[in-house]
Amino acid sequence: MDYARRCQLIANGYYNQGLEKARIRDLSGAAECLKKSLHFNKYQTDARNLLGLIYYEMGETAESLVQWVISQNLQPEHNRAEVYLRRIQGKPGRLEAESQNIKKYNQGLSHAQSGSDDLAVLLLGRVVEFNPHFVKAHLVLALLHMSHGDYTKAGKSLQKVLQIDKNHPKALWYMSIVKSHTGRAEVERRKMDTAFSHKQMQDDDIILPPSYKETTGWLTIINIIAGLLLGAAVIWFLVLPAMERQLNQKHNLELTGVLEQVNQKNKELAEIQSRLDSMEEERNSAVTTLQDMETNEENVIRQYERLVQLLKAREGQDMNTVALVYSEMDISLITDPDTAAVVAEFTAYMDSEGYQILADMGNRARDGGNQDEALGFYQKSLNVKGDNPQVIYDMAGIYAARDERDQANELFGQVIMNYPGTELAELAREARGY
Amino acid sequence: MIDFEEELSHYKPSLEIEAVEDAIEKNDITDMTDLMMELIKERKE
Repeated sequence: MDYARRCQLIANGYYNQGLEKARIRDLSGAAECLKKSLHFNKYQTDARNLLGLIYYEMGETAESLVQWVISQNLQPEHNRAEVYLRRIQGKPGRLEAESQNIKKYNQGLSHAQSGSDDLAVLLLGRVVEFNPHFVKAHLVLALLHMSHGDYTKAGKSLQKVLQIDKNHPKALWYMSIVKSHTGRAEVERRKMDTAFSHKQMQDDDIILPPSYKETTGWLTIINIIAGLLLGAAVIWFLVLPAMERQLNQKHNLELTGVLEQVNQKNKELAEIQSRLDSMEEERNSAVTTLQDMETNEENVIRQYERLVQLLKAREGQDMNTVALVYSEMDISLITDPDTAAVVAEFTAYMDSEGYQILADMGNRARDGGNQDEALGFYQKSLNVKGDNPQVIYDMAGIYAARDERDQANELFGQVIMNYPGTELAELAREARGY
Repeated sequence: MIDFEEELSHYKPSLEIEAVEDAIEKNDITDMTDLMMELIKERKE
């Protein structure tokens, strides 16, 4: 067997010992074994992690961090130390408080060593209040109490240490001194003597059980009453709460079942409501489509009626009616190729001459003092042929006369911007006051 | 009986959290296996 293998085996042996001791709360002993284990094999991760845990349990947080960080460095994968570190570092506030507590312990120790016992006791008292597992702080505190002759308080501190670490050598030593000063050692010695002393029994020795007593009539009655009371108490304190718990559990189960049913029904209701909403939406959509189709149909018929009007007016040479009727038509709705050709003739006429008829009708209405009607004709003329600065200017003039400055300025602006250098542009500029 | 002053002098300040990094750096983790390996290496040389 090579040396490395032997070292590993020895390290494992010490680790097992350390683990056993830790399990029975012999933390000091366990720590020694684990340190030895690590001397033989620094890669004994369990030993290092357990050593860190022991330090942490004894209030040495920084020491535990050292061990866990080294452990993590030596074995980065599948290492329990990672969990410990994450738990400690996951609460930065707690770590900061621990840090302050350790500093307080160091201050307390410094005060104790420099003779300021009262201050030291005060500080160390706070330290163990914050961290009742800080073994060192308990020990120094116990030592200070002992030096002041306060062995009872010292005993309490040492008792706490021994609850954390059963075989802490210093705590045991201090405790033996405390016991010798409080008389506790003598009491314990007598108890031990009694427990383990034996004497030879004689033939006529009688062993009476400590509970044996002669019973009288009254005592029997009292015992019966006491038994009844005890029975009642058992029913009141044990049976009734158990029954109540059972009933509560049963009711809770029933309630859970009912709630589940209610939830299920609510889900179904929500689904039905959703389907209903969807169907309602589809119905509305269908109605709208139908209405659109009807409206469209009516519009198409109306356009054909207007076309008939156009034809009649042209036959009668009534070009004013032609211009007016055309301006109110929506020729895009006439899709029949033959009819569209007829409409195209009217469109050509309106583009070349018809727009001016509408403008003239506007002029006449304006001159007759009917400004609203004039604006209507001008707009119709512009709908046929938008590129007509005179009509735009005339509209602007009406708005200006009505003191509707915003509309007037906008239209004057169109003339100035779109037809620069023309006479109308100059007139518009003057009207704007440039 | 305990000599209080003498006993108290045995107590050292506890390692502070801020000093952990330093402690890790200074920590000698050399184990027996390392020493053995070093001895074997020296012997071979």
